Amino acid sequence: MKKLATYGIKPHDAAMKADGKQWSLMEKLLLGLTLDQYIGQVIRNKFNWLLAFIFAIGIPVIIYRFIFSLGSVTHASYDYPWGLFLGFGLFCMVPLSASGFMLGTTVEIFGRHDFEPIERLALLNGLLGYFFAVVYLLVDLGQPWRLSYPMVYSFGPAAVLFLVGWHVATYLSVQVAEVSTAFFEWIGFQRGYDFIRKGTVGLTVSGIILSTLHQGALGALFLYAPGKVHPLWYSSAFQWLHFFTSSIPAGLSMVICVSTIVVYTMKWRCDERFINSLDRITISLAKGAAMGLSTYLIIKLIAVAHDNEWAYLATGWGQWWLLEIVGFVFIPLLILSYAIRNKLVGLCRVGAFMTVAGILLNRLNTALITFNWKLYQEIPHQWEIIISITIFAIYIATYRFILNRLPILYQFKSQSDK
Amino acid sequence: MVNVGKRLITGLGVLVLTSLFTVGCFAMDYPDEVEIDSLANLYEAVVFDHAMHVDATDSCADCHHHTTGTPSSSEYCAKCHDGAVEMDVVSCQDCHSGDPVSAENLHNPQPGYFYHNDKPNLKAAYHLNCVGCHQEVDGPTGCEDCHAKTEAGEKYYRSGEFAPEAAAHSSGH
Amino acid sequence: MSKITRRKFLAGSAAGGAAMMLAPSKNALAAGSFEGFPDGMGVLVDLTRCVGCRTCEAACNTEQKLPEPAKPFDDYSVFDELHHGQKRRPTDKAYTVVNRYEPEGADEPLYRKIQCNHCNEPACLTSCFVNAYTKTPEGAVIYNAKVCVGCRNCMIACPFHIPGYTYNSVLNPVIKKCIFCYDTRLKEGKPPACVESCPQQVMTFGKRKDLMKIANDRIKKNPGQYVNHIYGEKEVGGTGWFYISNAPFEQAGFDIDLPKKPIIDNVKDFLAIVPMVLTIWPALFTGFHLLATKGKSHGHGDDHSAEQEDH
Ligand code: SF4
Ligand code: SF4
Ligand code: SF4
Repeated sequence: MKKLATYGIKPHDAAMKADGKQWSLMEKLLLGLTLDQYIGQVIRNKFNWLLAFIFAIGIPVIIYRFIFSLGSVTHASYDYPWGLFLGFGLFCMVPLSASGFMLGTTVEIFGRHDFEPIERLALLNGLLGYFFAVVYLLVDLGQPWRLSYPMVYSFGPAAVLFLVGWHVATYLSVQVAEVSTAFFEWIGFQRGYDFIRKGTVGLTVSGIILSTLHQGALGALFLYAPGKVHPLWYSSAFQWLHFFTSSIPAGLSMVICVSTIVVYTMKWRCDERFINSLDRITISLAKGAAMGLSTYLIIKLIAVAHDNEWAYLATGWGQWWLLEIVGFVFIPLLILSYAIRNKLVGLCRVGAFMTVAGILLNRLNTALITFNWKLYQEIPHQWEIIISITIFAIYIATYRFILNRLPILYQFKSQSDK
Repeated sequence: MVNVGKRLITGLGVLVLTSLFTVGCFAMDYPDEVEIDSLANLYEAVVFDHAMHVDATDSCADCHHHTTGTPSSSEYCAKCHDGAVEMDVVSCQDCHSGDPVSAENLHNPQPGYFYHNDKPNLKAAYHLNCVGCHQEVDGPTGCEDCHAKTEAGEKYYRSGEFAPEAAAHSSGH
Repeated sequence: MSKITRRKFLAGSAAGGAAMMLAPSKNALAAGSFEGFPDGMGVLVDLTRCVGCRTCEAACNTEQKLPEPAKPFDDYSVFDELHHGQKRRPTDKAYTVVNRYEPEGADEPLYRKIQCNHCNEPACLTSCFVNAYTKTPEGAVIYNAKVCVGCRNCMIACPFHIPGYTYNSVLNPVIKKCIFCYDTRLKEGKPPACVESCPQQVMTFGKRKDLMKIANDRIKKNPGQYVNHIYGEKEVGGTGWFYISNAPFEQAGFDIDLPKKPIIDNVKDFLAIVPMVLTIWPALFTGFHLLATKGKSHGHGDDHSAEQEDH
């Protein structure tokens, strides 16, 4: 795309063409390029080769899973009923997607319109993260038609998972509504746009409620397994708070990471407003993330003190815990604070990447690595890993597909003109 | 499948003992050999070498709570089954019924049931008695050391000709 | 607060939290029960009696029409099997297994039969979000495979590592576990197949409260023969099947660190905040919104960035 831009070709970014004609859907899909140009740039992009490679291996394995059952691609462990699909797909994707409700709150509730250039990216990040968490879930359960049972057929209202299920489903629709404004703009459906915009505050508030509860509920799920999760990662009083507070820096850092990647690899798609405000926004987001991280760190320590688990720190598990807490919570916190004070955008980004890694580590630790610490450690089946990577690749491809087209990183001309 | 289960239930549940442990003290007459076949279903009947056990043990009381003509030696039984009264039966089955925890008893306990709710059933009375002692004196304790499996038993345990294909197994205790 | 009240409260709060538009059906609230049923049946398992003959495993296999085992039921090499360093556990193909242990200083090995313990307040039941599980008045914890979604939360929750999952089923993978022979026996008042098959009467079937007395009696009447503990009397709120043993329970593979309270008690605090968040958040954040945007335009696309840099 960079190369095309040098030839003076501009991507589709307004309701009307320069000559005042409407874009057709096909032209919109091809980003306003001709078919040859489009295919040419797809092939030139090395990253597409990597994706193609992953899909070539992974998609047959996913098909294999649906023909030969979950047991054929995992170790079918009774002791580790939740493998990578849930341990990574659900427990990691959901906190990293907390960005939607946080930026929504900042912009729509607190009226911080200075964050607006990134609001849509954050909303999209939220939507796609949740959507793919559900995709992971489907691959895991293998009975997609039963996924609706807790909604319509058989209720277990005293179960935490009931809450998670309902919330993720409802929140997914809330996010679809939130992101649909961008879609309506792109497709040229002004009435739909106006309708959703009117309900924004309501949507955002329900987003906050749902998010607070289900981010916490994901943690509360482990309250059912008091003896199984290692005490350092388990706290009957604070588990839900840990998951909820850590989702704040997770979501914000994820937005920093995605925007960093985007601004380096897809600069052509970002408009002036986005590029010019990004440094400022990155630092503000980092501020939020640092605040979230410090709260999280404190509650983590309180939980250890509350259950008096200091003795565990001397064990091997304790060192693993210290690595997570010092290496991926405390150090990123220091980096972020230093970077914020000195307005170092690059360093903020380093801190954000480390924070994301830290949250991944925490969720994997709770759901898989330290789970059943008294029994044995399970290493996921190679095909389970391949499928997880493939779905993640599909996630990235979808993400990019949408960023390329919908007015997420750029403002649609017709609207800003108005 | 259902049938096997049914037969098992009848076989194990009803538990009628045909041969008695007709035992006396050394002064009494006792059989040299007893065939215990009432429970035979999964396993063949046991031909019990009574004479050998008489020789091998010090007293009848090693196995029996009492003999004919003596009071019960079990302090718990003797509380009601008055120590002064001489017993005229020695067979296990006379006291150890097949099914002490019957559904009727559970829902409508018979008078006195309360005192018998922890009494082993007949099958257990045999096995606890025999195996318990065998463990102490290093007697045989494997199932087939005393009674061979019947065809129904092989099927039930999925052994012998009914063994799973995959299992190249060796059994033994 | 009575347990029923608490249960209703918890159910109500989670349901309320589940979705603002969901009116939980009466059915959902009434299903199951968290108090042990007073006349519920149970089984007393006396480990001192077990000789590891595996007859109970064979009985369960026949009664529950389970698939062919990997090895015959009289093959005792299974006692040496280790999977990831662990002894055998119940699976979707075997609802009960017997394992051998060698307690310190004992002449004879100790055998322990494992199956669902039919808890009074089952963790599996409370964790199930489609309410597939039921604790029947007879004391069995059964489940409805027709609604099981396959989320395997009950496997996570069960403190005894009991439920198995048909991982190898393509179209309908579901949970499988011991059901106390509910359909074929317990319902009619009959003891389960494994109990009846045991040559040593390791297991005694009866009303849980009667069995508890028997267990205490056995411990009292045979000084020195049992450790003075009934495993399952208090553990995780009490279990329908419970154990007495001559060796310390941890040496027979029991988890002795389990809480005395039902697992659901752990989750109670979280469920209690749900209605709070539901009622307070909307008011709170709408208030914030009004304050924050007071006197400002509501419009989208206004970029106040310059003057709002730092707050
Ligand atoms: S049948 Fe009885 S003695 Fe044999 S293994 Fe099972 S519980 Fe133990
Ligand atoms: S033992 Fe496990 S599966 Fe059985 S009732 Fe208790 S929690 Fe449920
Ligand atoms: S109670 Fe029934 S289902 Fe449970 S282990 Fe015994 S035979 Fe199997």
